[in-house]
Amino acid sequence: MFKLKVADAKLLRDMATAISILVDEATFQITPEALKLRAMDPSRVAMVDFEWPKTVFEEYICTEPTKMCINIGELLKLLKRAGKDEVVELALDEKTGRLQLKITGKYARNFTMPTLEASEEEVPTPKITFNVRAKATTAGLRQAIEDAELVSDHVRIEADNEKLVFQATGDLMGATIEIKKGSDALLDLEAKEPSKATFSLSYLSEIIKAASATSDIATLEFSTDMPIKLDFQQAKEGKLVFYLAPRIETA
Amino acid sequence: MPTPFKALAELCEKLENMTKRIPMVSLVADFLKSLETDDVEPAVSMILGRALPKQNQQTLEVSWATLSEIIRRITGVDWELFIKAFSQTGDVGSAAKMIFENSKLKRQAPLFERVLTINEIRQGFEAIAQTAGYGSREKKERIIETLLSLASPIEAKYLVKIIIGEMRTGFHEGLMEQAVSKAFQVPLKDVQRASMVLGDIGTVAAIAKTEGREGLSKVGFKIFRPVKLMLAQMANDVAEALKEHGGRAAFEHKLDGARVQIHKQGENVKIFSRRLTDVTESLPEIAETVRKNVKAEEAILEGEVIAVDNEGNPIPFQHLMRRFKRVHAIEAIAETIPVNLYLFDILYLNGESLIMLPYLQRRQMLAENSGEIPLTKQIITNSVEEAEHFLKEATDSGHEGLIAKKLDSEYVPGIRGKRWLKIKPILEPLDLVIVAAEYGYGRRREWLSDYYLAARDAETGEFLIVGKTFKGLTDAEITEMTKHLKELAVKEEHRRIFVIPKIVVEVAYNEIQKSPKYKCGMALRFARITRIREDKTPEEADTIQRVREIYEKQFLKKGNISLRNSK
Repeated sequence: MFKLKVADAKLLRDMATAISILVDEATFQITPEALKLRAMDPSRVAMVDFEWPKTVFEEYICTEPTKMCINIGELLKLLKRAGKDEVVELALDEKTGRLQLKITGKYARNFTMPTLEASEEEVPTPKITFNVRAKATTAGLRQAIEDAELVSDHVRIEADNEKLVFQATGDLMGATIEIKKGSDALLDLEAKEPSKATFSLSYLSEIIKAASATSDIATLEFSTDMPIKLDFQQAKEGKLVFYLAPRIETA
Repeated sequence: MPTPFKALAELCEKLENMTKRIPMVSLVADFLKSLETDDVEPAVSMILGRALPKQNQQTLEVSWATLSEIIRRITGVDWELFIKAFSQTGDVGSAAKMIFENSKLKRQAPLFERVLTINEIRQGFEAIAQTAGYGSREKKERIIETLLSLASPIEAKYLVKIIIGEMRTGFHEGLMEQAVSKAFQVPLKDVQRASMVLGDIGTVAAIAKTEGREGLSKVGFKIFRPVKLMLAQMANDVAEALKEHGGRAAFEHKLDGARVQIHKQGENVKIFSRRLTDVTESLPEIAETVRKNVKAEEAILEGEVIAVDNEGNPIPFQHLMRRFKRVHAIEAIAETIPVNLYLFDILYLNGESLIMLPYLQRRQMLAENSGEIPLTKQIITNSVEEAEHFLKEATDSGHEGLIAKKLDSEYVPGIRGKRWLKIKPILEPLDLVIVAAEYGYGRRREWLSDYYLAARDAETGEFLIVGKTFKGLTDAEITEMTKHLKELAVKEEHRRIFVIPKIVVEVAYNEIQKSPKYKCGMALRFARITRIREDKTPEEADTIQRVREIYEKQFLKKGNISLRNSK
């Protein structure tokens, strides 16, 4: 049994949108301490690691750990009906196995939706030694990605101790976006050694766009030709982390 | 241990270079034996070029364009190189292999390194088939990109072939049945029978492995689970059909209606459409007729439902289809569009499958069990004249043509074979102009062997395409034609060239259909070139107005519905 109450529907909606970038059917874990999700996208190139401790919620009741799988697209449709500052309440009807979603604001709405068979897959955390750690504003990252998208479908991210560079090369056009240490967009930059890795913009741009709705600051960690970790700082100890595997050029 | 996909790709590569069937069968049998149970069905399907089991209604819906874009993204080759590789090999898979071997790859790495297994590829295919709705194309692309990124050149070749569904190793379903029989030591006859009933050799192979002969023998019909339909190939005329069937055959009227498969158990009747969807609700009076007339406790029957006018004459098919579409207000429509049922086959009777029985015997049993329900009109003959006369009678009374049935033939679910042959009256040939051509595949890859046929618009002078064919010319004629067309070429794109309208050919066909494919709104069915009209200029070719006239004439026979209503 569980009952989760979120004071601002927008918070939940933005989070669901960010998760929906990678997964259609999302298996959430609801423990007495937190709401969690860890999943890879169907092509197993990216993963999302999400956690909202009970402190994020206005009300959080969970008597025993439960798994619940829902179609996140369908959930989003319902959440779109809620306005800002409306309260959303999620509860599982154990008799019917359906999720009940209650939105209250100017008036009260009750929706129900089916739950699906939960995934049993345990997704491990990629073990990577990161050589670069960059803390940037999500607004700045968005700008850089949108620039890169104009010319190519992938982008190379490079860094040393001075700067973070986004390099995009398309068939015809190219773009270089340089963010210097100490600029407004780059709050911190440490590089144990200069590193570079290339990523598909189809993933990266969607992740950054969706996650930046939930967060103002992100920490990027990467190494040459290794997966990148994007940690989007959340209010109240929440966690939203993405990993994305690189594109690698081989001879 | 799960089998790596590489083993399957290497097997297929060997098969491609083999011609003798017996060693091919042995090789595949050994491979099947080495598999874990869970890999058997996916492997069998993939070797036959199927991403998903045959019974599965889902498809990948991945176009060649999408696939080539992904290959291009991974390999970074430019279009010209890509087209060159394709033209050189004439085969998408081989082209992919060539490109993978010769270019620097920009692979999308997975989050966790791993080896491609048969199982993982199947999961990928399933995920592709399941994606739907907004952004589904992109999701499909991502999955394929990841799979291809993990693939070696040879794996890429067969991945692409399976996704496109063109294997071309020469290892067909019949040989697979032999391989399954050999691998799991079950009699071939049992494998074939189970394969017929289930319509999927992959599933049969898995049963053969886990449950052996006993498991296969339990495979049977289940009332209310529709069986795939046996389909007919097209024959040019009754003479060809007679020859194909050994000089003597049964001919039945081919009705212009909707084919149905009817399942009955006690008072319960279900009717399935050609696509095996349940249409019982659309045809309440047919269900009632079956309940009243078929006395057997359990039966699966096949027949044709046709719409008739008040005098009982058949009227065109389009009217009937309204019945299937409108589930609501059925009764009102039932009054305005009366339908009749004609039966022509029986597959199952009181617990016994009849599909292995010869046609004649099934027809006899059908007659004994159909009560007052009429059977399609039938003759058995060895005379071309008699059959032609019967064809004329069929078309004169508004039917489509004839189906020739081999007297000793079994009912083979899901197969379009030569045991049944469709015959439609031949319409007068047209003289048409070749306006474009494409390179063929395989043996014909260097020849322009696929022709776009056009009729002239007498009003504007424009040439309008009405059909496409690769049939009718000899190799020598195709070589000559290729040379000639290249001289006339005005534009080349991919494997297609556009030419100055100059060459006139005489074209036979079986029907002119309404079709959105071409600008003129019509298309020739089963077009084939009967000769090259060197004596004719494009200006003397038939006009689009003439084509339309013939098109409309087809309808005059069928009731009094003019084309204008259905346009």
